[in-house]
Parts: sequence; C-alpha cells; structure tokens
Amino acid sequence: MKKILSILLVSALTVSVLAGCSSGKKEEAPAEGESAGGSEEGGITVAAIETAYGSKMWEDVCAAFTEETGIDVELITDKNLEDVIGPSMQGGDYPDVIHLATGREKALTETFIKDQNIVEITDVLSMTVPGESEKVGDKIAGGFTETSLTNPYGDGKTYLAPMFYSPCGLFYNAGLMEEKGWEVPATWDEMWELGDKAKAEGISLFTYPTTGYFDAFFYALMYSVGGPEFFDKATNYEEGIWDSDEAKTCFDIVAKLASYTEPTTPSQANDQDFTKNQQLVLDNKALFMPNGTWIVGEMAEAPRADGFKWGMTALPAVKEGGDSYSYTWFEQAWIPGGAENQDDAKQFIAFLYSDKACELFAGAVNADGEPAPAIQPVLGIADTLEGDNQMFYSIYDNGAKAAMGNFAAYDSGVVGVSNREVWFDPVNSLVSGNMTEEEWINGIKEINDQMRENMVQ
Amino acid sequence: MKKRSGRSRFVFLCAAPAVLLFMVFMIIPTINVFRMSLFQRSAYSVNEKFVGMENFARLMSDKNFIRSMQNTILLIVVVTIVTFAFALVFAAILTREKIKGQNFFRIIFYIPNILSVVVISAIFSAIYDTNNGMLNSLLSLFSGKTVAILWKGENMVMTSLIIAMIWQAIGYYMVMYMASMASVPQSLYESAGLDGAGRITQFFQITLPLIWTNIRTTLTFFIISTINMAFLFVKAMTSGGPNGASEVVLSYMYKQAYTNSSYGYGMAIGALVFLFSFGLSALVNVVTRREPLEF
Repeated sequence: MKKILSILLVSALTVSVLAGCSSGKKEEAPAEGESAGGSEEGGITVAAIETAYGSKMWEDVCAAFTEETGIDVELITDKNLEDVIGPSMQGGDYPDVIHLATGREKALTETFIKDQNIVEITDVLSMTVPGESEKVGDKIAGGFTETSLTNPYGDGKTYLAPMFYSPCGLFYNAGLMEEKGWEVPATWDEMWELGDKAKAEGISLFTYPTTGYFDAFFYALMYSVGGPEFFDKATNYEEGIWDSDEAKTCFDIVAKLASYTEPTTPSQANDQDFTKNQQLVLDNKALFMPNGTWIVGEMAEAPRADGFKWGMTALPAVKEGGDSYSYTWFEQAWIPGGAENQDDAKQFIAFLYSDKACELFAGAVNADGEPAPAIQPVLGIADTLEGDNQMFYSIYDNGAKAAMGNFAAYDSGVVGVSNREVWFDPVNSLVSGNMTEEEWINGIKEINDQMRENMVQ
Repeated sequence: MKKRSGRSRFVFLCAAPAVLLFMVFMIIPTINVFRMSLFQRSAYSVNEKFVGMENFARLMSDKNFIRSMQNTILLIVVVTIVTFAFALVFAAILTREKIKGQNFFRIIFYIPNILSVVVISAIFSAIYDTNNGMLNSLLSLFSGKTVAILWKGENMVMTSLIIAMIWQAIGYYMVMYMASMASVPQSLYESAGLDGAGRITQFFQITLPLIWTNIRTTLTFFIISTINMAFLFVKAMTSGGPNGASEVVLSYMYKQAYTNSSYGYGMAIGALVFLFSFGLSALVNVVTRREPLEF
C-alpha cells in the first residue's frame, strides 16, 4: 500500500513538473462585434512595441480595425517586445504584424531583414484603405516607400511599412541664442565661429546623448556634403568611397566637431547616463545636440535654465547657399515570413494609414496621461499639429531637405562588427583624444569591403 | 530479490524527474550551444549555413573579442584578489576583535548584496558623475582644486567597474568567512598567544589554514559568478562603452548574437566562455588543493 502510494506521488510529481513545460495555450480575447469577414483562424495577432507614445493608441486602433473590417485582433504590446514575442517565434509561432523600429539593441527587425524573412508588401501600396476610397500608396507622403528602410534589398520592392516619423536635427536652447544675440548657423564655418564665441563664455558648442544618435546626424551630413548620389554609394559600401573628397569632408566635420564637444560627454554616453548629456543643453553648458522630436517629452520633467525654449535646426550646409538636410527618422511595421494570416495582416497595415487610425495615433497619450502624438507619414498631417510639434514638423517647409535611408543590410557573414561600432562609437574616442581621425577612417575602410561582400541581395 | 527490484524501481522513479529536468534544461541546451557555434545563422533563422570551425577561427583574430577577453580576465583577477583580501581581513576583525556595533557593521557590509545590480549602477552613476558626483566632489574638497576625473571615460572605466564590483561582493563573502572563523576554537588562539604569536601571525598560521576548505569553495564560486556579474554590471553601468572600452566577454557575446544578428558567432563565444570557466575552475581547484586541517 505504502509502495503504491509512493509511486503515485512520484508520478504525480513528474506529471506536474512536465505539465509546467507544455506551451501555454493562447487565449483568444472574446470578439467584440463579430461579423462576416473574420478569418477562419479567428483574426490576427499584432505585436507592437510600447514606446513614449504609450500603448493605448494601439488598443484604440485595433478596436477601430475590428469595427471596420470584422477581423479580430489579438494585441501584444510591451516595452521589451522582443523578450515577449522572441521565444515563441523561435518556437515557430509568429505574430501576423510586428511594429518595431530598426536601431534597437536587440535588432530584431534587422535580423529579419538580414534573414530575408519578411513578407513583401508592395501590393499593399495599391490596396484601398479599409473604409476609404483612396489607395495606400497615394496617402503615404513622398519618398517614404522608396528608402532602404522600407525597401531593404534595393530591388524596388517594399517590405516594411513606414510608421510614425520624426524629423531629427540639432536641438538647442532658443532662449539662450536670443539672449546672447547669436544666430543659428547656416553653414559649418558659421558653426565653428559660434563655437569659439560660446567657448569664450564657458559654453561648449556640442554634445550628444549616445553615439547611437550619430546615425541620423551622419546620414544628414552625407546628404548635405554629396547629395543623394554620394549617400547611396556610401551606404552601399562602394569600393574606395571613403577615400573620396566628399567622405573626407564628412570625416573632417565630425572630427572638428569632436574637438568642440563638451568633454564629459563620452563618459556619459551610455544607456544609463545619456540624459545627463541631454541635461547639458538644458543647463546651457552645451549649445547643440543631435536628437529627435521625442526629446521634449523625454526631458519634460527635467530642470532647465531660465528662459529655456526648445529650438531645432537642420544640419548646416557645407558651403554658403548649399543644401541643408534634416534626417527623417521613422519606425516600421512588417509581416514576418512565418505569419499565418498574411492577407488579413496586409489589410491591417493598409488600415494604419486611414484617417481614423492617423487621428487615433496623433491623439496618443503616454503612461502619465500627457499628450504624445505619434505622427503617421501621410500627406498633409503637419497642418494638424500644435505647439512645439508644429515648429519641429515644419522644418521641411522652411528650406531643409529630407534625408532618408540607412546603411544597406548585410547578412550574418559579417561578424565582430556592426555599423554603429565602426562608424559612430569611435566618436567617443575622438572626443576623449584616444583615437585620431586617421585611425577612425582606417577602421572604416578595413571593414567596408567585408560589408559590401556580404550585402543581402 | 523482488523487494530489491521494487526498491530500484522506486529509486529510478524518484530520480527520474530531476534527471529529466537536468537533461531538458541543462544538457540539451549546452549541446545546442556547441552545435549552433558551427553555423552561420541569426536567432530566428529559417536557414542556417554550416561553417565548421570558421566562427572560432575568426574569433582568434577578432580584436574586439580579444579586448573583451582581456577585460574579463582583468576583472576576474583584480576583483577576486581584492574582494577576498578585504573580506578575510574584515571578517577576522569582526570575529576576533571586540568592536562596538559589530552587528551593525555586519549589516552595513552585507547591504550591497541585497541590492539589485540596476540599483547599484544607479548609485554609482551618482557617485561617478563628473560634475556633481560624490567622488569628484570629495577629491576636490581634499585637494583644494576642482577635480574633474571622467570615471566612466575610456581610461578610467575599468577601474570604476572594479570598484563597484568589489563594493558589491565584499559583504557576502565576509559573512561567509565570519561563520567559519567563529567555529575555530578559541583555545588555539590562546595557546598561540602564550607562545608569543602576534595577531598577524595568528591570522596567517591559524585562521587561514583552518578555514582553507571554505576559501577554496568560495573561490571557485566567485570566479564563475564574476564572469556573470561582469556582464550585468557592464550592461547596467556602461553598455560596454565608451567605444568598447568596458566590453566584457559576455556582453560582447550578447552584442554579436542579437545586435549584430550573428547568433552562430555569439554561440561560438558562448562555447569558449563555457570551456574557459570550466578550465579555470578546475585550475583553481588543483592549485588550491591542500591537506585539510581539522581542529
């Protein structure tokens, strides 16, 4: 009897332990207003990163989509979305739509691009927006669906849908500039002059949150130095491109800027302390920093100098009368190759550009209940903005050209280095004097060939 | 006979869950790490390409990997030596000497151990701040001029990490040694005292040899945990920067596996770290082997 009891207990233990290992069954949220048109599997799964815009807007947009099309949506939002959906994707269970930008530390989107594991969505551009009569392609603002961020393989096919854009540029204290009677520099020569004037008053010309912010800066700089042609060659790692005069000009400007950078910047340029660098601008210790429009919300609670007023400018032109550029940073939504309900997923992506969705995104509030508008890249949206955002988003109306795109994707054959480590991280060493401009350029040239050879075709 | 087979069945059933779990969660994943290190792939790759030992060959000429390995070894050596020296001395003082507020000190030293690494990194972010940080302010106060050391700058960042890691670890090991020192019989010290042995001689001739077994065990634990803790500290305090100056081997592995989408390469680093920690523990075990003393 005792033996039977022990065997029973042991088996119960084994079973209960193993039961813990079985994969949890996904529970489908009860459908609201279920109607015809719902897919056989019972809708789609949308995974969206929760950022400064909060997650409420996604709930609203998903509900509006279900109301419009009758397709149920199971929404997953999280600040660390990769950790939530990553394990189940490794197990072969993919969401149908993923909204997650490139440039994050876990580089999930980049990984899918490199693996060519993303569904082509060129046909979505010719789809009609659900509930409207216009086509998706006609609603999206010009240029957004022609960049390497949406067409990563340079074959004219679109794989990623552009979402929430934000102009990037140099942010400064407009109040301080007015008080001192300084003009915002239109060329780099004026920039250096201003740097000397500011230095005399104990203010550094430049700082940056982390070297990650140099991507937008460097892209815009490449555009302003050599135009789109040079940018394309450089971002496709063309042979000998870093020996060209244009490249030399770019390197010289960054190296000179490094010498004008607030000296504590590199020691604070990490994920823990980057707000201290941003604080330098609020405290009038540094004049300019590269950033995006989210900075206003990010530093909303931070103390600041009297009379502080946010200002934003495009990158100065290289020569008098030359073009000045502002990089357009945007996020991406895409359908992973393993998605089951791809047709419904495409419907969902099309819906993201509807007037209804744009309005819901623009009315987003963050976790503290503060307004944090997420701006979809659709035509005419800048006219509807207010306050600081109106000033930021009108940068392109005031003469600055839009710079878009990024370095071409390479596959996992390139190991030990990434674009950021080769191009941007060394800026920390340039500022601290541990590296010369020459060493930086040599490092780039060394790796350029490896990247070109492993480019995803 | 029948009773015996019934017994072994019972033993088998008892051991089965543990063995099964160990297989599923330890053995198979470890084998998988070694397997994936032979492929070129990302974390979510549908297709993987077999590249044999190429990942390992590339590692040997990867300057960034070598630097991260150097940083890791530096941390293991310096943090271990300093932590153990301080932990032993503090433990000896707190057990052997009559000090007011002994328990108070014990708690104070132990507190860093119950804080999470994220909290510690926030504390040290305030301590190391160049303009308003505690450390620079103190140095300025004593030197009479403005000190602006960049504690998290390229030249100082490893020192700053070492200080934080030592600060965090001392208390735990001190409490461990206090426990074993308390069990050393008082009579040994008394007779040594009669023979004219001073406190320092007593520490080296009596205390250390008698708690050697304990030191040996904790040393192995500590070396392995330093490899892991270094990752957490780097992640929370410096993100490996500036420009890779504070990269350690596990943070580099993480960067390769995820940020650079070279999962296979990352796993090759993982496999090396696995062998490295295994070898190091074995080495420490052999080097520190002594005839156990009993009291």
